[in-house]
Amino acid sequence: MAGLQDIRRRIRSVKNTQQVTKAMKMISAVKLRKSQERLVALRPYAGKMMDVVHRVVGRIKGDSEIQPGPAAQAFLAPREEKRIRVVLVASDKGLCGGFNANVLKAATAFATETQAEIVHLDVVGKRAAEWARKRKLTATGEYLNIPLAGFQRVVTEISEGAATQYHAGEIDALYVIYNYFNSPVAQTPTVFKVFPMELDRRTESREAAEVPHLLEPDPNAVLETLLPRFVETELLRNLLESSASEHGARMAAMDKASNNAGEMIAKLTLTMNKIRQASITNQIIEIVSGANA
Amino acid sequence: MSQSIKLEVVTPERPVFSADVAEVQFPTATRGYYGILPGHTPLMTAVGDGLLYYVQDGQKHWLTVFGGFAEVGPDRVTILARESETVDMIDLERVEADRQHALKLLKEAQTEHDLASAQAALDASLIRLQAAGHPAGHGF
Repeated sequence: MAGLQDIRRRIRSVKNTQQVTKAMKMISAVKLRKSQERLVALRPYAGKMMDVVHRVVGRIKGDSEIQPGPAAQAFLAPREEKRIRVVLVASDKGLCGGFNANVLKAATAFATETQAEIVHLDVVGKRAAEWARKRKLTATGEYLNIPLAGFQRVVTEISEGAATQYHAGEIDALYVIYNYFNSPVAQTPTVFKVFPMELDRRTESREAAEVPHLLEPDPNAVLETLLPRFVETELLRNLLESSASEHGARMAAMDKASNNAGEMIAKLTLTMNKIRQASITNQIIEIVSGANA
Repeated sequence: MSQSIKLEVVTPERPVFSADVAEVQFPTATRGYYGILPGHTPLMTAVGDGLLYYVQDGQKHWLTVFGGFAEVGPDRVTILARESETVDMIDLERVEADRQHALKLLKEAQTEHDLASAQAALDASLIRLQAAGHPAGHGF
């Protein structure tokens, strides 16, 4: 049996660890709130953007006089997907439960299942970069240690690049693999196709009921400026979802760790008390039997 | 027919403005300023940089808008701006500092690209100053 000293030392060490995990939980809670605020602020914009894109596309589709340009065709008649660009979003740091493992598993599954060739891979976060290296995939774009304020720049870079590549015929689709933020304690690894976007039916029925929009200066010009912006917004939303998910996952993981540490301390304290009591009992017996003799 | 327009201005960072107004005028990217009254035909266009004004209770109010899209319906105007501020959000001291910085960059600019970005920064700061009613903005 371990000595009293050893157990005391272990309790102290576990207590220290618990302090660290508690602090990390608090930090994650603050960061989570920040990411979540930005995400919540972006959602109305993203929703409206989706609406506008649907309307413009529905309009171009519904009017046979308009000759759809290349950007419009991306939505109306998607090309067969032979070459695709993929953006993989994970985190830079660990200690966040299954956050990275889940999204990387989804990425592995996607990479093996897809018929298309991944011609361009962007990785966001160190864990994603490591994953690519392990699989001997070349990450064309690496974005590491990006703070919340730096998301916009990353997003602009990727969306502009992707739009150019699409027009040049180098890629046929853009996918993002990231963690969708359900709630602070639940994330779902998600594979999201940014474009070409599938239009849902509700757009068409709604469009028919309304007076068609004038598109100025002309429909294709509107769509061509709209498309990169739309892609940008969706990417930004995905990055924010991932960031909020990461902090949520870390908060949950650290909460669990703090609880486990608490349990361990309770167990060790119990053992320590038992040993101490045993030694006291022993000493009393010795004294009593000594006095009797 | 409705006598008011629901004006909504949203940016990726935050919803900036939302209320019923009587009249809206905003800058477009290609065709100058568009004035919108209730009952306007549906329209969609790219938004330029500049000042948007709306009339509420007979009073004119100003907002800055920088790029984005506008969707106009008979009873609504939705502006998806890249950036936008109400007058209250403008920090005059900071904008003035931005303006001085932009002027400095403009003098030092070496390439075409530097020149364009410095000019854009200067324009943005002037638009903000003008929105805030600052004298320096009237030179714009």
